[in-house]
Amino acid sequence: MMKEHMKKIEEMTRHSIFEVFEKMFYVFLEHLDGECGEYDMEAAIRFEGFMSGEIRILLSMDIVKAMIHNMLGLKEDEITIQRMEDCSKEAVNVICGNFLGQLDSAKVFNLSAPIFKEQPGDLELTENACRMDFDSDGGKVGLIIKVKG
Amino acid sequence: MSFNVLIVDDSNSMRAVIKKIISISGFKIDQCIEAVNGKEALEALTDNWVDVIMSDINMPEMNGFELLKRLKKDNLLKDIPVIMITTESSEKRMQDAFNLGVKGFIKKPFLPEEIRKILYEVIGVNDEGTYEEDRGDDEAFDF
Repeated sequence: MMKEHMKKIEEMTRHSIFEVFEKMFYVFLEHLDGECGEYDMEAAIRFEGFMSGEIRILLSMDIVKAMIHNMLGLKEDEITIQRMEDCSKEAVNVICGNFLGQLDSAKVFNLSAPIFKEQPGDLELTENACRMDFDSDGGKVGLIIKVKG
Repeated sequence: MSFNVLIVDDSNSMRAVIKKIISISGFKIDQCIEAVNGKEALEALTDNWVDVIMSDINMPEMNGFELLKRLKKDNLLKDIPVIMITTESSEKRMQDAFNLGVKGFIKKPFLPEEIRKILYEVIGVNDEGTYEEDRGDDEAFDF
């Protein structure tokens, strides 16, 4: 039962990350079968409602630069760590909002302020969590979603 | 015809993106004012007149709902149309915002054509960027 539930959540989250990266950052992702360990930073957000949990996105330096370049038209030497933080936090915020809209648009969820880490945290998965990894011309991105309830 | 827009969002990048997408959309901006939260938006409105406000909901110090409440209490500002830019669009939250007087919603991520459409709708202009009522007046005097 839980496995089926997690599979649906995984499908919805995958749809969200594809849509957000295409529409907001003009980055087209390709789902990878295996895991990719080459991430440089992460952004995370928690949500609470009839279902609660956390979404984390793991990003390579290259993809964050590509996202900022595509989104704001900035050149490489204009991209600061502050911009990277802003962009990563905005990405995880929008992915989470998109996912929750698919989950149940009639329900209200409370979202935490997104947090940013210059190094990805612990990537170990618990039972109610799943991880997806993606590649693109701009670099690599991963997503971990953990739910409870 | 060009318009003054106030963009309220605590993210520098998001404000820049909104500005860029509005510009790509073909909607003509005369002056674009930026604020990082509702409090700063109210301060900006003491010195500037805007045709439309585009505001995020979740912001520190003063969020989008509080900004909306304050605007509605001010006789000078209450008629400025407000569009909420949001990541979450639960039906209840949207209804709450409409009850407070919000004119439109746009959900992130959005496309240039979506932002142009909603801006024209809430300001009350047609696709050529002229006021709907002006068009009627022009026709009335077109002998």
